[in-house]
Amino acid sequence: MSFIELKNIYKKYPGADKNSVTDVSLNIEEKEFIAFVGPSGCGKSTTLRMIAGFEDITSGEIYIDGQKMNETAPKDRGIAMVFQNYALYPHMTVEKNISYGLKNMKVPSDEIKKKVDWAIKVLGLEEYRRRKPKNLSGGQRQRVALGRAIVKDTKLFLMDEPLSNLDAKLRVSMRNEISKLHRQIGSTTIYVTHDQVEAMTMADRIVIMKDGVVQQVGKPMDLYEHPANKFVAGFIGSPQMNFYDVTVNGNIVTFEDGSRITLPDSVTSKLGGRQGELILGIRGEDIKLDAQNIDLFKADKQSAVVENAEVMGNENNLYFTFGGASSVARVSKYEVSGIGDKIEFVFNPMRIHFFDKQTEICYI
Amino acid sequence: MILTKKQRRIEWALAIVMIILSLFFLFPVIWMIANSFKPDAAITADMNSVRAFIPPAPGGGFFDNYVSIITDTSFLRYMGNTLLYAAALIVLSVIVNGLAGYALAKIDFPFRERWLFIIMMLMIVPMETIITIHFLFIAKMGLLNTVIGYILPMIVNPFNIFLFRQVFISLPDDVWEAAQLDHCSAIKYFFTMVLPMSKTVVATVSVFTFLSVWNDYLWPSLVFTSSDLLTAQIGLNSITANVNTTMGMTLALITMVTIPVIIIYSLFSKQIVEGVVSTGSKEG
Repeated sequence: MSFIELKNIYKKYPGADKNSVTDVSLNIEEKEFIAFVGPSGCGKSTTLRMIAGFEDITSGEIYIDGQKMNETAPKDRGIAMVFQNYALYPHMTVEKNISYGLKNMKVPSDEIKKKVDWAIKVLGLEEYRRRKPKNLSGGQRQRVALGRAIVKDTKLFLMDEPLSNLDAKLRVSMRNEISKLHRQIGSTTIYVTHDQVEAMTMADRIVIMKDGVVQQVGKPMDLYEHPANKFVAGFIGSPQMNFYDVTVNGNIVTFEDGSRITLPDSVTSKLGGRQGELILGIRGEDIKLDAQNIDLFKADKQSAVVENAEVMGNENNLYFTFGGASSVARVSKYEVSGIGDKIEFVFNPMRIHFFDKQTEICYI
Repeated sequence: MILTKKQRRIEWALAIVMIILSLFFLFPVIWMIANSFKPDAAITADMNSVRAFIPPAPGGGFFDNYVSIITDTSFLRYMGNTLLYAAALIVLSVIVNGLAGYALAKIDFPFRERWLFIIMMLMIVPMETIITIHFLFIAKMGLLNTVIGYILPMIVNPFNIFLFRQVFISLPDDVWEAAQLDHCSAIKYFFTMVLPMSKTVVATVSVFTFLSVWNDYLWPSLVFTSSDLLTAQIGLNSITANVNTTMGMTLALITMVTIPVIIIYSLFSKQIVEGVVSTGSKEG
């Protein structure tokens, strides 16, 4: 049995006309770092809160460490949680915030001191231990919230968008700290975020949700390379995957604006004879502007005019219209193009995805 | 903020108007305090002159009126009684009205909004209209002339419930969820988290409760007949009714009753204003 098992979990709020969470089944192994990711309202936080016990389950079963938890109070589930808004006790110092739970659990005072000192040291809060939350920065507050969670020796950490209130730079450093902490402590962690970069960089496995339904569960690179459907393909990766309405006839792919490319037999064979109207997806980095690739696929060379260029420092994103759709190519920092420049490019045919136009399921 | 010349002139004009108005309202208080140090003869002699607003020079007999009150009457005891009742009522008021306010703000129960509506309606019912019911109720319970009989009907206050509810509704729910994971019970959460996080409203309710007890006349005059239990206001009335009480003593008594109110208002004016502002209403 897995450490956490969700069996056919449904959640419907009273008065709502549809489920907030529909038939979520998931196994999470001990010490795993799993991220729930999806847009706002996709049911990721609701699922997390059902695991925590803060939301009733409409139907289904939740098991933690082999025990059914449907009716168990949050405090008895053996969990620690880090909240989006930190949920620190504003009238208590850092030290007291961290030790409050242990005191309530009647842990001997010398042990409390040892644990609090350890947490404060691990999180680099030594000089703030007697400060109240209002005198701390966002990052420091989040570290206090983490401290409150790690001192409790629980096997399961739940984190509900813990970094969403921090600025971009701090988010990156806190991301690292949380990953380090996870490796150090080894607790199972369920991490909710709407930021796919956080999910990709931190999680062992990612659960992608949309409209309360799990779209795909897998390792970050599996999701990136082999998305189950158009939603997953579009959600994972930045910039977003380019999508084109195309008609496939044999090896020939015709775009809405009449542009054509020829697929190698190896790709066509993966389509399993599917022809006609499909959606073609390709990631920005698989649109190639370099001479070597253009020479390699010269028969399918395309051209467009750059409408916008984002200089990221380490790379450039070039925006243009092609095939009747807005497109972006992610190119190296040396491939500089300005707005209005004409560019020539090819699609790396081995990296093309095809999706069903109706179901949006990914064929390859 | 940098003010323009015109703005500065307006500020000055406003300040002058405020000072004149304050003096206008302060005149009776200054007159009372100044004359509370004088014998009756001096009060009568100064009545029609500006000296009526000037206390006598400190010296022998300066505090005679106050000494007479302390030595010849039980007024200090009445003040002590009132402070005791106020302290008990502050504690009970914060607990009972606070819990009710918390339930109305955070606990989902049937007809919650209707209960709130009823409580808000009760805010417009003047105390005087239900005082007979309170009296009969307390009399039937055999609690007339007891401290409990005095305190009991004063604990629940719709205004205080509403005040607490308005503040508690803005407390973040995730703090309660975090506290649950920290093995904190609901009652412990209320006392160790909710009240400390809402210090302003606790202070506001405490000040309002103190002032209502200190200034209350009608209810204690109905409940108490024993002179041992009288409050300051009733005590003031019973002492001044005595033929031996001089005008100077009466003014000293009124000064003694007034000063705690002035102190409370000066110390807690911020809380009083915040309390009134946070509810968008004002007490009776």
